[in-house]
Amino acid sequence: MFNLNDLAHAASAHLEICLFYLTAFIMIPLAYGVLLDRNIIRAGFLLIGVFGGISALFLLLQAQFLAMAQLMIYAVGITLVVVIALMLTNPNLEYEKSVELPQQQLPAFLTSILVFLVLYMSVLSEAWPVRNELPSADNIKVLGTSLLTQYSLPFEFASILLLVALIGAVMLAKSDHFHPGEEILGNESISETEGNENVVKV
Amino acid sequence: MTTAAAAPYNIGEIWKFVRLSLIWMGIIFGAVWLVSWVVGAVIPALIDQAAGKDAVLHNLANIIRLLTPLIAVMVFIPINATYMVLAERRGLALLTVRKGPNRVGPDGFLQTGADAVKLLFKENIDPEGSDPLMFTLAPIIFFAPSVFGAIPLLAAVTSDHELFHIVNLPTGIFYVLAMSSIPVVGIVMGGWASNNKYSLVGGLRSAAQAISYEIPLVLAVITVCLLVGTLNVVDIAWLQNPMALAGLDNSPQAAQALQRWESIRGASHMAAPSISSIGVNSLADFGFLNWNIFGGDKFTSYLALLAAGKYTVEAAIFKGLAALLLIISSFLLCGLYLTGACAEINRIPFDLPEAESELVSGYNTEYSGIRFAIFFLAEFTNLFIVSTIAVVMWFGGGSSPFPATLYAPVMQALAGVCGAVNEVLKGIGLPAILEATTLSGAIWAIAKTYFLVYFAILVRGTLPRFRIDQLMDFGWKRLIPLSLILLLTVTFLKELI
Amino acid sequence: MFALVGRSIESLRQVARGLGTVLKHAAREPITKEFPDTMPQLAGHFRGRLALAVNPQTGDHLCISCLQCERVCPDKCIQITSHKSPETNKPELINFKIDHGLCMFCGLCTEVCPTNCIINTNDFEMADYSRESLVYDLKKLTLTQDESAHYYSKKELPMPKPKPKPAAKPAAGAAAAKPAADKPAGKPEAKAEAKPEAKPESAEAKPAAAAPEAKAAEESAAKPAETQAKAEDSAAKAIETQAKTVETATKAEETAAKSGETQQKAEEVLKAAEASTKTEESSEKPEEKTREIDLGRVPAKSDEAAETKAAEEPKKEGEQ
Ligand code: SF4
Ligand code: SF4
Repeated sequence: MFNLNDLAHAASAHLEICLFYLTAFIMIPLAYGVLLDRNIIRAGFLLIGVFGGISALFLLLQAQFLAMAQLMIYAVGITLVVVIALMLTNPNLEYEKSVELPQQQLPAFLTSILVFLVLYMSVLSEAWPVRNELPSADNIKVLGTSLLTQYSLPFEFASILLLVALIGAVMLAKSDHFHPGEEILGNESISETEGNENVVKV
Repeated sequence: MTTAAAAPYNIGEIWKFVRLSLIWMGIIFGAVWLVSWVVGAVIPALIDQAAGKDAVLHNLANIIRLLTPLIAVMVFIPINATYMVLAERRGLALLTVRKGPNRVGPDGFLQTGADAVKLLFKENIDPEGSDPLMFTLAPIIFFAPSVFGAIPLLAAVTSDHELFHIVNLPTGIFYVLAMSSIPVVGIVMGGWASNNKYSLVGGLRSAAQAISYEIPLVLAVITVCLLVGTLNVVDIAWLQNPMALAGLDNSPQAAQALQRWESIRGASHMAAPSISSIGVNSLADFGFLNWNIFGGDKFTSYLALLAAGKYTVEAAIFKGLAALLLIISSFLLCGLYLTGACAEINRIPFDLPEAESELVSGYNTEYSGIRFAIFFLAEFTNLFIVSTIAVVMWFGGGSSPFPATLYAPVMQALAGVCGAVNEVLKGIGLPAILEATTLSGAIWAIAKTYFLVYFAILVRGTLPRFRIDQLMDFGWKRLIPLSLILLLTVTFLKELI
Repeated sequence: MFALVGRSIESLRQVARGLGTVLKHAAREPITKEFPDTMPQLAGHFRGRLALAVNPQTGDHLCISCLQCERVCPDKCIQITSHKSPETNKPELINFKIDHGLCMFCGLCTEVCPTNCIINTNDFEMADYSRESLVYDLKKLTLTQDESAHYYSKKELPMPKPKPKPAAKPAAGAAAAKPAADKPAGKPEAKAEAKPEAKPESAEAKPAAAAPEAKAAEESAAKPAETQAKAEDSAAKAIETQAKTVETATKAEETAAKSGETQQKAEEVLKAAEASTKTEESSEKPEEKTREIDLGRVPAKSDEAAETKAAEEPKKEGEQ
């Protein structure tokens, strides 16, 4: 009937560039918005948009799996939690005056310049090998294989790190001090309720 | 228990409900087929005819072809949601001994249409102190992913029809899950932008709930992917389809199909004896036992090999136990997924973000007019999509539940009908439209999906809402450990059988 | 661990049981009644729109202007205008207003009413376009005789005693004897005949000496006696606005009393009564009319101007 791949290959070069500029066109204002928006919650939402744009860039680079992971974990998962944390911690969001301390301006400027320089140098110093061949269509398999063979040690380290973070979060959340709300939220009361349910059922 | 009436007095109402559903299904089905046909076949064919040698026009025709899945989904979603709202209201009415909407049109046929028109004509209120951009963006962010996320499933349930081949993504289910995780951003955004405490609390609850329940949900899906050996929804559905399995050894494309089968399943086949020794198509006779909810073809290959007498006694018992465990695990996985999905789309009993008795209407309290309509539409669409995911992952996608030998005559009859229709179409110079496998797949898929939707309605009619702490407790202390245990169990069982 | 598994299985079982129970209910016949099509079967003690009953047997207005209801109403939504009749030295009703927009249908007023005059009807469809139109006046509140009879039997109220009548019972008895044979059509005739005679007498003999006899005569001569009683009533300047026949008769009589042209008026009354015979006849079929009565939908009145005039006249007198 028609060959999709032909079409895709024929158009891909132009299409890719167009899409790249489109993404950039959307993302750069969003990124500026994150920096400049006085309303920190809105900045958080814009950040979600930026991460979404990054996942679009991954898609353009044929890294579907990474794109999806980026979207799911960074855009939705982590940033959303950050936004929610902001909502919960900063009740006076709307009309917050910016704190302007003149004596901080120069150091802040210098630091920014320094960070920029470091990043720029590191980007320059890295040799970015460019390969002409198309990435394999089934790059999930490649990814999985290399993660579990070549890079299994870093992978395991990362998992242990996350596990530690998880346990740490649980330990932080689990408090053995008495809190006023504990009758409602505490574990004992829950198991008690369940016990009651059980009694009712039996 | 005594409250339930013994005698079925209610045949009339049930019949009305069934009739209504059938008519609506026909409309949904017909509309989607018509649109797919017109956009995917007729218009490109006409353009091709007119184009002659013009390459640009041919490309245009191809681009229109590429857009078919998107347009099909876009037509499908509003019509489908129209029916689902009606089905939910009438179905709940049945369960709660009421009649439900039955005034607009015959039997309330047009009720949702009337509601939609009403909503569209309502004033679009921007609450004071709201963030206009975010407020408007929120429903879109809530709704758009369900359109885009549904697309790969289209390829899965239509047996990879060539019109929908473009959406046959290698990341498949991962893409769908990633898309279905986005709506929560819309909820939080809408809740925050409304400048309303109820909305904000609704949004926060929704986020907390979605993030907690996404973990067991994704783990359940990933476990199935592990069991099957692929992320591609089309392949997952294909592997569960008895008709497809029957075609593995004796159809013209058998070699190709077998190769595909082995490329998916082969690597994980460490246990001997292999099913290849007696022919993979012997699995086709097990019908619905091939579905992943019964452990997929792992279980059926065990049965086939057992029937062929390939096992020693000890091996048979040992593997039988493993297969039993696998079935239990698969059932639990399915339940886990359905629970998580229920929470993810904020349905009762997990509808804390919009708990009426506590939060007025939660995150959409301040919404009115078309923006509210979009929220409403998206909610039902999400229900349909999670049901479709469950159907593709556990209930065999578009496959029939019957063994291939039993179902073959039906397929032949369908093929006859399709051939006749196509002949007629060709006679008047239009491209062919029907294909027996696609037709059967679509019908079975939609039937199964609606079975799950009705189940969700039943659950909604039965279970009370969770309390927020119970919800978190249930998610983190019960479902996540269970999903981790199942992940481990299935990984081992997969190699043992 | 095993306890947890057991508990999980048990809870799953319970959930499944719940789902099954709910599913079973799908087979039950809906309890929904489709309201405008099928009217609800309301009990007699249903507290709907308030209304003033007349004596189901005689058509007397039952209100004695005791103001009990006005006093007891928690919402103060009853407003009664009455005056002391110069002749009988008893309070007489001029107007009776109930603001149904304020009323909470507690039914206290119906509890205290000594004559069971004010009652809750079964009508609940009272939606209207303005608050003002929810204030019902005497005319709107008063039930017809049929409706009163309907509610009295439905609520199983004791039949009220007819008012002590000073009226000349020989005349009444004679009038009653004649039309008793030809029933529905005969009724207005009886009225028309009875009136000219009854009027002067009742005007003369107000202090009601022959009450017991009058009562006995009325009870024995069922329907025509009612018209007789009505004639007396109107002579005593009660303003009864309900049944059309009664209404026209009242009006005719009052004007007649003024002008003294008895004969001419009697003819007029006869005409009017004939015109309204249709309504009377249709009210003979109780089944057809049940719904209208239930909802207190009184058939449209022909000459309302005359009625209001009749209602205003006593007021003027009271002012004098
Ligand atoms: S029902 Fe109650 S509120 Fe209404 S008029 Fe009677 S006493 Fe007043
Ligand atoms: S209590 Fe009855 S009799 Fe007394 S004024 Fe009220 S309605 Fe009339």
